[in-house]
Amino acid sequence: MGKPLKQIAIYGKGGIGKSTTTSNLSAALSLMGFKVMQFGCDPKSDSTNTLRDGSYIPTVLDTLREKSGLDAHDVIHRGFNGVYCVEAGGPAPGVGCAGRGIITAVELFRHQRIFEELDLDYVIYDVLGDVVCGGFAVPIREGIAKHVFTVSSADFMSVYAANNLFRGILKYSRSGGALLGGVIANSVSGGYSKEIISDFTNRTKTRIVEYAPRSITVTQCELRGKTVVEGAPESEQAQIYMSLAEKIAAHEVSEIPAPLGVTELREWASGWSEKLLQRVEGNVSPGEAI
Amino acid sequence: MSEIIDRPRYACALGGALFTLRALPRTAPIIHASAGCGYSLYGALSAGAGYLGGGYCGGAAWSSTNVVEREIVFGGEERLEEQIRATIELMDADLYVVVTGCMVEMIGDDAAAAAAVFRDAEAPVLAIPTPSFKGDSYAGYDMALSGLFRGFTRLGAEKRKDTVNLLGLVPGQDAFYKGNLTELKRLLEQLGLRVNTFFGEGETLDNLRNASEASLNLVLSDRYGIKAAQVFEEIHGVPYRVLPFPIGAAQTADFLRAAAEAAGVGTAAASALIYREEDRYYDYLERIADIYNDIDLQRYAIVAGDVNYAPSVSRFISDELGWIPKLTVITDQLNAEETAKVQSRFSGWESGVYPLIKFDPDTSAVQRYFPLAWPQSANERYYDSFSPAVVIGSALERDFALQYSLPLLTVSFPVTNRIVLNQSYAGYNGGLSLASDLITLLMSWR
Ligand SMILES: Nc1ncnc2c1ncn2[C@@H]1O[C@H](COP(=O)(O)OP(=O)(O)O)[C@@H](O)[C@H]1O
Ligand SMILES: [Mg+2]
Repeated sequence: MGKPLKQIAIYGKGGIGKSTTTSNLSAALSLMGFKVMQFGCDPKSDSTNTLRDGSYIPTVLDTLREKSGLDAHDVIHRGFNGVYCVEAGGPAPGVGCAGRGIITAVELFRHQRIFEELDLDYVIYDVLGDVVCGGFAVPIREGIAKHVFTVSSADFMSVYAANNLFRGILKYSRSGGALLGGVIANSVSGGYSKEIISDFTNRTKTRIVEYAPRSITVTQCELRGKTVVEGAPESEQAQIYMSLAEKIAAHEVSEIPAPLGVTELREWASGWSEKLLQRVEGNVSPGEAI
Repeated sequence: MSEIIDRPRYACALGGALFTLRALPRTAPIIHASAGCGYSLYGALSAGAGYLGGGYCGGAAWSSTNVVEREIVFGGEERLEEQIRATIELMDADLYVVVTGCMVEMIGDDAAAAAAVFRDAEAPVLAIPTPSFKGDSYAGYDMALSGLFRGFTRLGAEKRKDTVNLLGLVPGQDAFYKGNLTELKRLLEQLGLRVNTFFGEGETLDNLRNASEASLNLVLSDRYGIKAAQVFEEIHGVPYRVLPFPIGAAQTADFLRAAAEAAGVGTAAASALIYREEDRYYDYLERIADIYNDIDLQRYAIVAGDVNYAPSVSRFISDELGWIPKLTVITDQLNAEETAKVQSRFSGWESGVYPLIKFDPDTSAVQRYFPLAWPQSANERYYDSFSPAVVIGSALERDFALQYSLPLLTVSFPVTNRIVLNQSYAGYNGGLSLASDLITLLMSWR
C-alpha cells in the first residue's frame, strides 16, 4: 500500500487500434509484475475482449440499468495474468447520453474506492476518442488520469481526432487536468506515413512514444481472442508492446501539447497531400508507364 | 459570456408553457423533466400571477416523469411512456400535453414518439418540446401555442369571415389575462365577430380545436404570440395583425377601429360601439374629477413592466389621467427589431407628454435610470422634489418605491402582493379599474 497509482487514458479515433494497443499494454505491464486494471470507456464495450479469450463481460451501465445500487466488485472481471477488466458500457445507440454514462461509471468506482482497495499500480482508461462531448473528457479532467496517450495513424481523420484531444487537454490543463504523455503511432509502417505523423508531433510539440506497425500477428491473435503479448509472446510485435510498456512504466512527466488551429490543421493536411501527389507523379517516369 | 440579469421577471420556457396549458380548460400537462422543475415553476409563477393556483390537473398535482440519472444515461422515453399511461388512467382530461425540460432535450429524448404510442387513446396526447435553454416564459407561451396549433387545431376547416382569434396575452405572466381576455372578447363580439381567446371565460377546448375557422389572428403584443401566429398562418393559412394591448378609452378606440378594419367589418360598426362605450366609460370616470382637482392628484409616474403593459400603462397615464410619465422601463429581453417596434408605441399620444424610455431586464434598472429621468442637480427649485409621484410596476419595484416613499401599484409580473380574480386592465372596463386602483392608492396613501 501507499505506492502511487498511475492512471493513464488512451484516446484515439474509433477503429484506430486503441483497444488493441491498450490490451497489449495492460498484458505487458502485468507481466512486468504490476497490478493493472483496464477500464473500457466506449459504448462498444469490447475494450478488454482480447484479455479474456474474446468474451464479453456485463458492463457497469448494463448492471446499473437493472438495479439502482451497484457493488463495483460485480462488474470487475479478471483477465489474462490477473488483469482487472471493466467495461463502462453505454445506452443503446441513438438514445440517452453515453457521455453521462461514462461519468456515472467512473464516479461509481471512485466513490467505492476500488482502486485503493485493489492496491493497483495502473488504471488504464480506453476511451472513445473523438471527445464528442463533455462526458468523454471525464478521464482527462478533474485529474482522474494523470497521463494521456493517443493512438494515431498517419491518416488525416485520425490526426484530426488526436488534435481535438490535444485541444481538450490544453483546455483542462489549466485546472489540474491530465497532460499529454505522447502519441503511440499505430499501423505506421515506415515511408511517408512515419514522416507525416512525426511532422504532426513536431508541430504540436509532443513526441512519439512507440511505433507499432500493422501486423498480421495482431489479426491472428485477435481471432483467437488473445493479445499478441499472450498469444505470440515471441513475436516481433509482442516485443514492441513490451517496449511500449517499459517506456510507459518509466514515463514520469507529461506535457501540455500545442494543438493546431482548425485552418492550420487543414493547411497542414493539404500541404502533405500535395507533397505526396508530387512524389507519386515523380515516381512514375514515362518509360515505366504501362 | 452572457450577462447576468438582476432578478428577472419571468421564469423559463417550460414554466411559460405550463401556465399556458394550465389556463386551457380540461387539459392535463405531463412534464418530462427532472424532479423539481414542475413544483418550483408552479411556486414561482402562481405567486407572481396574483396567486393563480394550479387549476385543473395542475400545480402541485402536475404529472411529471421526474427523471433521474438512470433516464439521462439510458434515455427517458420508456419512463415517459409509463407516465403518459398512468396520467391517462388517473387524470380525467380532454387533452394531454407532454412538455419537456432542458435535460431530456439535451440527451435527445423523442417525446413525440412516446406520445405517438397513444394515438388511439380517447383524448389526444401531444408532445411539445419546451426546453428552457430556448427562452423565457414568454417564449414558452409561443412554443406551447405553436405546438397546439400544429397538433390539436383542426386542419382544413372552412374559413368564416366573422371569426377571429386573440393572441398575445400570456397566462400567468399577465396576472390579469382572464379578465383582460373577457373584456376584449366582449368588445369584439359587439363588432359582430366570433372570438376565440382559448383562455377566457366560458371557452372550451373547441375554441382551440376550431380556431382554424378564423379569418384573422389579432396579436395584442409586439412580442408575445407573434411566433405562434406565424405558425398558425403557415399551417392554417390565416393571416395575423399585430396591435398594441389597449388600456382605457383612447387606446381601446384605436384598437377597435384597427380590429374592425382588419376583420373587414367596417368602421361604422366600430364608431357606433366606441360611442356607446365611451358614454358609459366617461360617466364613471368623471366621478374622479372633483377629488382630482380638490386635492391636486396630478402625479409624476414611473412605469416598469413588460412590452404589453409598460407602453400602454404609460400612455394611459399621459393621455387619460393627464399625469406626467417620467420614466418607463421595459423589462423584456428584446432584439433590435422588437425594440424599435416597442419604441414606436411611444408616439402619437394625444398629450404629447412622453417619458424617458429605457429597455433593461434588470430590476435594479429602475433605480439606475431614475436620476436620468429626474436629475437632482438640474437647478430645480426644490432639490429633492420628485413628488407627488407614483410607481406602476411589479412587486419587484417595492424597494425602489419604499426608498423614495412612493406608492406602488403592481400590474406587471410578478404581482405577488395582490390576489387577482376577474379583474382586468384591458379595454374600457380595464381603464376604469386602473383609474380607480390608482386614485384609491393615492387616497389611502395620504
Ligand atoms: N497494429 C495493428 N496491426 C494489425 N491490425 C490492427 C493493428 N491495430 C489494430 N488493428 C486492428 O484494427 C481493428 C480495430 O482495432 P481496435 O483496437 O478495436 O480499435 P479501437 O479500439 O480504436 O476502436 C481490430 O480488428 C484490430 O485487430
Ligand atoms: Mg475499442
